[in-house]
Amino acid sequence: MKRNWFLYFFKKSVSQRKGRIIIASLSVMLAVAIVTGLFGITSGIKDKLGSELKAYGANVIVTSGKGEYLDYDLLERILNLDGVEHALGQVLGQAFIKKESVEVIGLEMGSMRESGWRLDGSWPQNEREIIAGNNLKEALQIKQGENISLQNEGRNLELTVSGFIERGGPEDNAFIVSIPQAWELMGIEGKLSVFLLRNKSGDLDKISSRIQNMLPEASVKTLRQVAVAEASLLGKMQMLMILVTVVVFFAAVVSIMSTMGANVLERREEIGLMKAIGATRNNIRIFYIAEALIIGLTGGAAGFLLGYLFTQAVSWGAFDSFIKVPLYLSLLSVAVGVIISLIASHFPVGDALKYNPAVILREE
Amino acid sequence: MSLIEVKNVIKEYETAHALRGVSMDVDKGQWVNIMGASGSGKSTLLNIIGGLDNASSGDVLINSTNIESLTEDELALFRREKVGFIFQQSHLIPYLTALENVMLAQYFHSLADENEAAEALKRVGLGQRLKHRPSQLSGGEQQRICIARALINSPEILLADEPTGNLDRENTKIILELLKSLHNEDHFTIVLVTHDPFVSGWGERTLMMEDGHITGDEVIKERDQGN
Repeated sequence: MKRNWFLYFFKKSVSQRKGRIIIASLSVMLAVAIVTGLFGITSGIKDKLGSELKAYGANVIVTSGKGEYLDYDLLERILNLDGVEHALGQVLGQAFIKKESVEVIGLEMGSMRESGWRLDGSWPQNEREIIAGNNLKEALQIKQGENISLQNEGRNLELTVSGFIERGGPEDNAFIVSIPQAWELMGIEGKLSVFLLRNKSGDLDKISSRIQNMLPEASVKTLRQVAVAEASLLGKMQMLMILVTVVVFFAAVVSIMSTMGANVLERREEIGLMKAIGATRNNIRIFYIAEALIIGLTGGAAGFLLGYLFTQAVSWGAFDSFIKVPLYLSLLSVAVGVIISLIASHFPVGDALKYNPAVILREE
Repeated sequence: MSLIEVKNVIKEYETAHALRGVSMDVDKGQWVNIMGASGSGKSTLLNIIGGLDNASSGDVLINSTNIESLTEDELALFRREKVGFIFQQSHLIPYLTALENVMLAQYFHSLADENEAAEALKRVGLGQRLKHRPSQLSGGEQQRICIARALINSPEILLADEPTGNLDRENTKIILELLKSLHNEDHFTIVLVTHDPFVSGWGERTLMMEDGHITGDEVIKERDQGN
């Protein structure tokens, strides 16, 4: 009964100040939406950017250094090195088609599918299908599904073009075949021309020297710009997010504090009266905490939805795909909303508890 | 034995003295008026007796308990258990009905009981106004809600600060008649502050205050009341 009456009175009290509650909830909503949006974008973009950068290629390149080939078995050993995120081998060579000389790149088709390259057509479904660089489509007048013949030093491969890729690199002018196909065409079974590696963030120099120690004869080159740019961009984005979050957090706290302050001032007489008829400080505090919880919960939940939509809109604009927002972010958003609201209410409620009822009730 | 004992109470503000060593006592069940001009210290004395304000020095004993030594929350419990207040302005919550305003006092005391609150309003003649909001009622009716609210938890002491200060003579008389009737039935102690000689003619005893001192203490004869 006591709790029911509290809820009844609280509901009536809140309904009298719907405008203020809505304004305060909107402040929380905007703050949470910005924080959620930035958080979602940053974590999502980190993944997206990582895969996009992967599509641009490796940042460590290992070749034999003497114009010879590298053993395929070494690739497995390099992959197991500490700090190596991703490694693949390629066979580079040349072949003839319709008496035209073309580049041939042999690589693992599975890794290519995950690299984010843009494909027109379909990935090879069997060992006779290959991919062609987009520029060859016009240069050689070939079409998707067309059978072609690649020749090299008397060896001949009959293949079918299943699709065309475009990535703005040398692959656009080459045929992309599987490693076994490349070995068969070049006659170099068990050999690779180059190892292409991606390091884990910040380990570029270490991984480079580890490989050099393992293969003293090999040439190990780092593409520092790509790695540094990636780390730098992500770092800047995180800094920006933290900065904006702090600013938005304080702006929201100040805004709600001012709304709650006005609310307390408006209810001076009510607070004085409650004290006079026997309300303890906790009796009064609980009204404001309940109000702050309502503001925080509604603002937090609405802010999460808005932030989610904002995140997806940005992701769609930048990557043509949606970002996977983790579930815990929804709980975190509501928690942030409640925290903002409670912090903002702390000082006005403190003022309310200090009111001397004798003074207030005489003033009115 | 005295229910209220005020011993040498001084109340100082930064620039003024509101009470300059006031001592008085009130017997259980007595109706005492405190009369004086504006600024004489009568409302300050009433607030200190009711635990709404603290004395700068001196003791206030209610039922032999010195309320000056109580903490803020203990004072809140004291007010809810022992005291009912009636103010010059009714101080009703505007968005609650007459019934709900009375129930609010019940809520802070123990349990809100609608039937009991309705009965209290019937006793003050507002049985037909239970669902009305304060703005829909006259000043006299609002003060009657305050009386019902003040008495709903059966306090030992009713403290009234200029309860008829905003009312015309007719409504003043209605309120005082009502207080007299309730006092005769329930025998609670009343301390009523007023500057109106008509009001101070009611009750059993009137203390005169001037410049923070009690300057007179007279017993009211029954035949003088209401004149």
